[in-house]
Amino acid sequence: MRELYEFAVGPMAWAAFGVFLIGSVIRLISMYSLARKKDGPFLSYMSWRFGLRSILNWLIPFNAQGWKENPLVCVTTFVFHLGLILVPLFLLGHVVLWDQYWGFSYPTLPEQAADIFTIAVIVACLVFAWRRATNRTLRFVTTGQDWLVLLIAFLPFLTGFLASQHVGPPLVMTTLHVLSGELMLMAIPFTRLSHMIFGLFSRAYMGSEFGGVRHAKDW
Amino acid sequence: MRRVNVVAAALLLAGLVWALPALSQEDMKTVPNAAFGTPQRSAAVFQHDLHNEKAKLDDCGACHHGDDGGKPDPASPTPGQPCAECHPVDAKGKTPLMRAFHRQCVGCHHDSGKGPLTCGECHT
Repeated sequence: MRELYEFAVGPMAWAAFGVFLIGSVIRLISMYSLARKKDGPFLSYMSWRFGLRSILNWLIPFNAQGWKENPLVCVTTFVFHLGLILVPLFLLGHVVLWDQYWGFSYPTLPEQAADIFTIAVIVACLVFAWRRATNRTLRFVTTGQDWLVLLIAFLPFLTGFLASQHVGPPLVMTTLHVLSGELMLMAIPFTRLSHMIFGLFSRAYMGSEFGGVRHAKDW
Repeated sequence: MRRVNVVAAALLLAGLVWALPALSQEDMKTVPNAAFGTPQRSAAVFQHDLHNEKAKLDDCGACHHGDDGGKPDPASPTPGQPCAECHPVDAKGKTPLMRAFHRQCVGCHHDSGKGPLTCGECHT
């Protein structure tokens, strides 16, 4: 287990960050060239103003029509993504690793806040799973990959929380946590998790078309 | 005369009882963390003598190292000197206390292939 941990925080960490960063750049470039090929004229109406307006309006809870119609989805989505971004970046235990290996650090979340966000992400994953299993419309559009990416996002938070609460042997739980986090990093460019790199562009594209061409709101 | 000897022996014994643990650090159970003010994690478990016995460490300078132009110098040991003296909690441009602790402990455990590596193994 010790060797596996050393592997996970050593070569595997380099591989995971490499696949994530290089994979994301390749996906962005290839998506851009595909968009140019299939829908070249969109470049003429891409607009910072309408793009940012749409992004901003969708970032306000209960503002967009879609959020108003689905309060549970609205709350779950916001809580889930807030935790998903804040905890990995600002958890004390993560910043300590930057500090230990690279010699830099930055402000962190209080441990209690991190615990609450982590539990919130875990609960949000369960809500998403419950909706996927019970909502007829959602079930109709759900594929195996949707379940897979939900599991990939769920595992680092579950194992991280268990490790932080000293459930199970710390070395085993932490190793599972590191490996599941690396799995998620590597899955981002190549699965539906890629909305992390494409989401803002898609929104800006929709906002530009609705704002500049249809003269309508898209939220 | 005999009474004086008994008193002297008692005083000497009392002095040893007080001084020996202080010298041998036998009572040390955790890494001192008072310098951090209100630490978020529990103090790292560390039984000084037991650790050094297990790790076969006789050389104080292995941990209580000196300073050689900004680099750790194990050849000039500094036992008894608080780590925070050279490694303040907010040491801009130098090695702050938390980084010094983590690098010292985890670094050695990593290199030697023995001892705890993950958060929960020390901060229990």
